[in-house]
Amino acid sequence: MTATLVPRGRLRPVSVGGARLARPVAWALVGLLGLVTLVAVFARQLAPYNPIQPVGPLNLPPLSPGHLLGTDGIGRDLLSRTLIGIQVSWLSALVVVASGLLIGGTIGLIAGATGGWVDAILLMRVTDLFLALPGALVAIAIVAALGSGLVNTLIGVAIVWWPYYARIVRGEVKALAARPHVEAARLAEVSRPRILTRHLLPGVVPTAVVSASLDVGNVVLLLAALSFLGLGQKAPAPELGADTARSLSQLLSQWWVPGIPGIAVLMLSLIANLGGDAIRNLMPVRR
Amino acid sequence: MLRFVTRRLSAAVLILLVLSLVIFVLQAVSPGDPARAYVGANASPEMVAAERQRLGLNDPFFTRYFRFLGGLFTGDLGRSLRTRQPVISDIATYLPSTVELVVTAFLIALLLAALYAMSGALRWPGASIGRGVLLLLATAPPFLLAIVGIIVFFGQLGWLPARGVGDFQDPGPFGMQALDTLLHGQTDAFVNALQHLVLPAVVLSVAPAVAIGRVFRSSLQAVLGVDYVRTARSKGLTEQQVVAHHVVRNAMGPALSMGGLQLGYMFAGVVVVEQVFSWPGIGNYLAASIPVADFPAIAGVTLVLGAIYVLSNLVVDLLQALADPRVAAE
Amino acid sequence: MSGLATPVAIVSDYSLSLVRNGIRSQVLKHIDLQIRPGEILGLVGESGSGKSVLALSLLGLLPHSSYPEADGEVTVGGVDMLRAKPAELRRVRREVLGAIFQDPMTSLNPTMRIGKQIGEVTDDDAESVRLLETVGVRDAELRLRVYPHELSGGLRQRVMAAIAVGGRPGLIVADEPTTALDVTVQAQLLDLLRELRADFGCSVLLITHDLGVADQIADRLAVLHDGVLVEIGPAADVVRNPQHEYTRSLLASRLSLTMPRDERFTGAAEPAEPAVRIRDLRRTFTVRRGGGRFRGDSGEINAVDGIDLDIALGEALAIVGESGSGKSTLLRIVAGLDQPTSGSVTLTGTGGPQMVFQDAGSSLTPWMSVGEMLGERLRRLKLSRADVKDRVIAALAAVDLPPEVGKAHPGELSGGQRQRVGLARATMIPPAVLLCDEPTSALDASLAKSMLALIRDLRARIGMTVLFVTHDLAVARLMGDRIAVMQAGRVVELGPAEQVISQPREAYTRTLLAAVPEIVEGAAR
Repeated sequence: MTATLVPRGRLRPVSVGGARLARPVAWALVGLLGLVTLVAVFARQLAPYNPIQPVGPLNLPPLSPGHLLGTDGIGRDLLSRTLIGIQVSWLSALVVVASGLLIGGTIGLIAGATGGWVDAILLMRVTDLFLALPGALVAIAIVAALGSGLVNTLIGVAIVWWPYYARIVRGEVKALAARPHVEAARLAEVSRPRILTRHLLPGVVPTAVVSASLDVGNVVLLLAALSFLGLGQKAPAPELGADTARSLSQLLSQWWVPGIPGIAVLMLSLIANLGGDAIRNLMPVRR
Repeated sequence: MLRFVTRRLSAAVLILLVLSLVIFVLQAVSPGDPARAYVGANASPEMVAAERQRLGLNDPFFTRYFRFLGGLFTGDLGRSLRTRQPVISDIATYLPSTVELVVTAFLIALLLAALYAMSGALRWPGASIGRGVLLLLATAPPFLLAIVGIIVFFGQLGWLPARGVGDFQDPGPFGMQALDTLLHGQTDAFVNALQHLVLPAVVLSVAPAVAIGRVFRSSLQAVLGVDYVRTARSKGLTEQQVVAHHVVRNAMGPALSMGGLQLGYMFAGVVVVEQVFSWPGIGNYLAASIPVADFPAIAGVTLVLGAIYVLSNLVVDLLQALADPRVAAE
Repeated sequence: MSGLATPVAIVSDYSLSLVRNGIRSQVLKHIDLQIRPGEILGLVGESGSGKSVLALSLLGLLPHSSYPEADGEVTVGGVDMLRAKPAELRRVRREVLGAIFQDPMTSLNPTMRIGKQIGEVTDDDAESVRLLETVGVRDAELRLRVYPHELSGGLRQRVMAAIAVGGRPGLIVADEPTTALDVTVQAQLLDLLRELRADFGCSVLLITHDLGVADQIADRLAVLHDGVLVEIGPAADVVRNPQHEYTRSLLASRLSLTMPRDERFTGAAEPAEPAVRIRDLRRTFTVRRGGGRFRGDSGEINAVDGIDLDIALGEALAIVGESGSGKSTLLRIVAGLDQPTSGSVTLTGTGGPQMVFQDAGSSLTPWMSVGEMLGERLRRLKLSRADVKDRVIAALAAVDLPPEVGKAHPGELSGGQRQRVGLARATMIPPAVLLCDEPTSALDASLAKSMLALIRDLRARIGMTVLFVTHDLAVARLMGDRIAVMQAGRVVELGPAEQVISQPREAYTRTLLAAVPEIVEGAAR
């Protein structure tokens, strides 16, 4: 019997956001995610001015000398404020998604792998209940109760967010656990911990990672909306949603003051979505 | 089928109970004294204490909770710290405008979603540009869309107004400007109301349209490739007959679920849109309650909107069971 | 059958290439074929031969997503199905063609009532009822209101047949219509196709991977191999006197009830301590009402209804049964993957039960290498890394696989290779009993034959006890020293293999035997 192994499929183009892109371009989008994270981490170093001090003439339009994005009604540099705002928004979103994945993922893994009443009643009923409540509204209520501030907002959103991941991970684990290869492993006398780590977990990770990466965009938008409503940090701390809300009156005259923070949110959301899509389509299909 | 309905109904009731408990716990934890709503900011500490006693705010936890629940059934949601009015009457004043806005936005979203999905699955030429634009708009935060909409359509073009429900008086009885003026046959007022409605409704509809559209498209594509569609084609039916009788009904399930979900999200997203457009709805009321930590109002709005969300999900579940008999057999 | 009338379908120098997984390949090469009016043509080919693609070509239903590129002509009812306008194609499908596909579960719209689906062809309820009665569906009027998931597989296929015949077609294209059905139901459906030809005068293109199935009712046989039509002629000639080497190999790898059995095992088994002892085994499932089968009144199903069996050390017992007989459930209980409701299973000997699954692909963890999975079996022994490596190579060699396979992942292996890996994993450490769950039903005939030979070789070498579950009597006769026939959770007949086959005592066994599609050479039809 000859050992002809079936050759792997060739490098096919990958579809991202509805467009077909060459694989290197898709990887570049994923790299963009990393770039934004770097910018977010080093925002303070990258910002040319102190974001909360007035440093220039009032209401300078973008592309003015010394102020790339202009200044606001108090004379603060918009580029600096936007950079810090990006730091807050992006890193907050990453924290929320990571905590949701960790908490929800662990709960989902336990629920899916244990089965029985632990899964059905204790874990999944609770998760379903959380999921049936309107997340954003409950988040608003939680933050309003705890008092506004960045940490409270993150807590409020994280509380509402983990059930989504628990449901996804549990679904994946249950589907995998029912597969013959897990039964075969049991027959092969593989120990339970090893089945969990080698035969189940690697199958769950791709789906979890993809869901998380697609989710970052949603969290960015939610945090921006909460910030817009005044649930984030207090003034004069730079926050993308709050800055827009506070300068709404300048909408028709100095459009860039409320507009630029909004555009920054759009950029973050767009990069997160495209990057997430690229990750999902680059993942090898493991069926 | 009946078993299915009863099970879903009882689940909905349970969820609402949990929501009420969550809200109640948050209220107990929140800063701000509900008694102040009744006596005013200038009342002396003795008066506030007396009011607290009268309201039973010093009673044990579960006594207060059951009183709270009882209050919900009679429509007593407490009194707003800001307006000093009963929250329920505030909500009754502002809710209709929000409903008008959300329903309009939802219908627009369904239309856009159907176009998005069909143009993609059936490969209409040139539609990919439209889908791309819609995708881009959906990635933007709604407040940005609102701002851009106002700058372009009000500031630059002058086609549409920037704030409010309309320039005419609302003749009633529903509290929804467009509907009421239509019912009374006041054409000028109706057109004016529509002009005010367009921008906020479109802004609110974009993200849900894409979410529903994507799901619908992917399930359309899945069903188009499925065996029984091949069977239908082999019978010699026209493509329209195949799509209408075999594809749509079977592809609708996930889209319906997503639709229900998005409708619920819209009731949350409306808060930001109403603020930018100064739309006199319950979202604006909520937004005004937040900076002053008016927790009774926040709690009341959350409960009402939460109930609407849960009920709309229930309706979606029932519709799904009607469309696909296998679901009801579970 | 006159050869003078115009053929219903003409395939002329037809070549086709398709794109799959990003790679374009030539699927059909210069096919020349004609289907005469009123004839039943059997088209036989293994997987990958292109037979289903040929069926889709005749129906004009080649998928756009595969970017088909065709040369030559495929003419049905005078219309070139490759190039005609959609309206023309639809007319031909309505008036000339009828189709029956393989999987009755997915070929009918799950949310549309049967009556409506048939009605799309007949436009008349009374006509639909008549059609259903013609295809042998009882209580036809009631069935009109039913949904597909409420019917059994056999009934669904009959509904498909009714739909196919409803438009009074000239040609019915049946693509593996019986593959998903039990052998008794298969026999009924084949009879039905023959009756339909007699009653309606239509031609039938019967596509299958099994020469025996085709031979049951075909007037002519055509053999397709790797996209090329290698042989075509009157059925009796092709079977008795195959011209092409591939046809000969197909015939040779067929398992029949009369082929010679393995000499290594024909000696009488010495009475030995039973390796497997099953006592009064029962397994009951509670079924939720409303979902599943049409006859779901009772809330309980007795999948295994009191089984007593002894399997001697080194013996092979083959269990035969149709779907729903409980054979798979029995196997899973012996394997320890399922708990019995009552009764006991006792295994003597070390090594525990090991199983070879039906679908090898899904029984291997996709992201682990073969070597890693085989190595897991040895963890208990705490061997050195070098020893583990040696034993893995030895295990692969025992199933005729080279050492390189150890580094590969399941996705890189062919179906036959995956099945062998599964066998290696199960037999690396000699088990108390080797359980085989229809391990070859998903494989082509030639691969199946070699796989079964491999199992017998291993059995001879290690002296394993084997419990082999199958729906195929020929396989059971080949693999088992004794045969047990199961029906509705009970063993209805048990005895030495040859005896059960040649002198069955029970009526059910006789029905099973009669339904097996045998190629009876030289018999008049």
